[in-house]
Amino acid sequence: MKLLTHNMLRSHVTGVTRGFPLIIRADEVKVNSVDFNREFVSRMIPKLEWEALVETAESLGHGSGLPRELLSGYENDEEFLKKVHHVLLEVEIIEGALKCPESGTEFPITRGIPNMLINEEES
Amino acid sequence: MDYEAAQLENQHVHSVYESTAPYFNEVQSKAWPKVRQFLLEQKPGSLIVDIGCGTGKYLSVNTETYNLGCDYCEPLVEIGRNNNLEVMMCDNLNLPFRDRCFDTVISIGVIHHFSTKQRRIRAIKEMARILLPGGQIMLYVWAMEQKSRRFEKQDVFVPWNKALLPRRTSDTSQCESRQNSALNAKQHNTTLKSMNEAETINLHNLRQTLESKQAHHSGNCIAAESCCIKFSNEDTRLYSAIGRSIRSWFFSRSLDESSLRRQIDKMKSLSPMSGWVNSTVSVQPSRHCSLDLGHQRIILKEHTFDDDDVFIKNSSHEKQQWFLTLDPSNTENGRHCELAQDGTKQASFRAESKHCSCICSNESNMRNQSTVLHRTSTTESSDSVLDETVAASDQEADTLDYNAYLRYYHVFREGELRSLLESDVPELHVISCCFDHGNWCVIAEKK
Repeated sequence: MKLLTHNMLRSHVTGVTRGFPLIIRADEVKVNSVDFNREFVSRMIPKLEWEALVETAESLGHGSGLPRELLSGYENDEEFLKKVHHVLLEVEIIEGALKCPESGTEFPITRGIPNMLINEEES
Repeated sequence: MDYEAAQLENQHVHSVYESTAPYFNEVQSKAWPKVRQFLLEQKPGSLIVDIGCGTGKYLSVNTETYNLGCDYCEPLVEIGRNNNLEVMMCDNLNLPFRDRCFDTVISIGVIHHFSTKQRRIRAIKEMARILLPGGQIMLYVWAMEQKSRRFEKQDVFVPWNKALLPRRTSDTSQCESRQNSALNAKQHNTTLKSMNEAETINLHNLRQTLESKQAHHSGNCIAAESCCIKFSNEDTRLYSAIGRSIRSWFFSRSLDESSLRRQIDKMKSLSPMSGWVNSTVSVQPSRHCSLDLGHQRIILKEHTFDDDDVFIKNSSHEKQQWFLTLDPSNTENGRHCELAQDGTKQASFRAESKHCSCICSNESNMRNQSTVLHRTSTTESSDSVLDETVAASDQEADTLDYNAYLRYYHVFREGELRSLLESDVPELHVISCCFDHGNWCVIAEKK
């Protein structure tokens, strides 16, 4: 699971109000090399929950020095865009779990695949 | 009711895909052009999610967008993951995404697997929720109006048949085991087997499926809406072999355990079918088979039994087709010549439609039907992944299939999906609606 995917996820457990961001417990993290596409990254940034992205990346030790607040004019900052690219697309959680910040429900990540199915007996 | 619907989907959608997932690995069938085009039209940097992505064939169409795939079925998702795609498991009815975070959603062949209207609405509403305002969703659902299939009712079970899928070339042991299966079947006098690779159904498996379904649904109706079991090309043979009794049960609107037992007992007592099994099992399968085996012509005889308004409405149209295909002059494509040259076959089919009693011993009739099915294979069908034309083996050993699973579909009538969106999902605005590959396709925009 890439951190860009994580940025779109929220807890869907019944009764949870915000459920975002899901807390990552990473047992295995892999860094892949992905071709940098400047336009792609700068178009992606406005769609992100920026603070959550930075927090999550830091919690995994891949903060890359990204600022907590998004600065204007980033479209022209190639170095910045490359860092964002790395965090969004190159850092991957292979094994671990996603934890709902409100209910504590855990969703396993196995072989890179988050399983967000809710066990009906548990809910 | 929702519980029953969920159980039905669990048994007749999720479990079937789980069991059949290995065969989808090689069915990396081509992306449908219209879906492909839609994906390519999305702006670079768009966030796209494919809800019900299966093995993820649409996730690599556009390399300028971020493509995330979701499916309920773990083995399918794993295939996608092994192809380096970004995938996860989740439930369409409860998507684990923020509101308004995707530019584009696609739902190809998913909504028709939800067994109640409420669940179909919920699934679409969930996808609408995660769309950004101005974002678009593309939906594909099976159409009632298909060239290669005729549906008895809108809620149907369709057998999955691995013989319809390309063989795994790497699987050498499969051939041998199938040969053994063929031998066993020849000696087996009590179980119905069919003879053509693309037209097989294992009655025993079917019975087990039904029995286990009954075990799960001890109540009356298995779904909120009326259900029936629809056999594609297999139905002809099956019904011919076991006659009206089982048919009346398959098409009954509510299923209960005692009637199931009665029917199974009746089926057991129908031994004459073994005669034609022995003689027809050696029939050579056609080289290329597809689900489009002309069963719309064969199945017409069923319509006369069916009081469903769908077929009352359509029956005259279909009868025309039926006789059209029997017309000796209609041999331009060479597909119906065998059928057309023998007038007695028409008679036998017609007779069958009039007499509903058991006709299981009519061996020659069975042979004729298999011929028809051969002759009508290999064309234009691409209605679903199962319809991909396959290069079936020539070997007789391939003629048997022990894995017939029934998948649930709600088949959409023309305009149904559109009006569902308009009346129940006001947050979406329908942009276009068309028929494509045996499906109704709707593109809608989030308001």
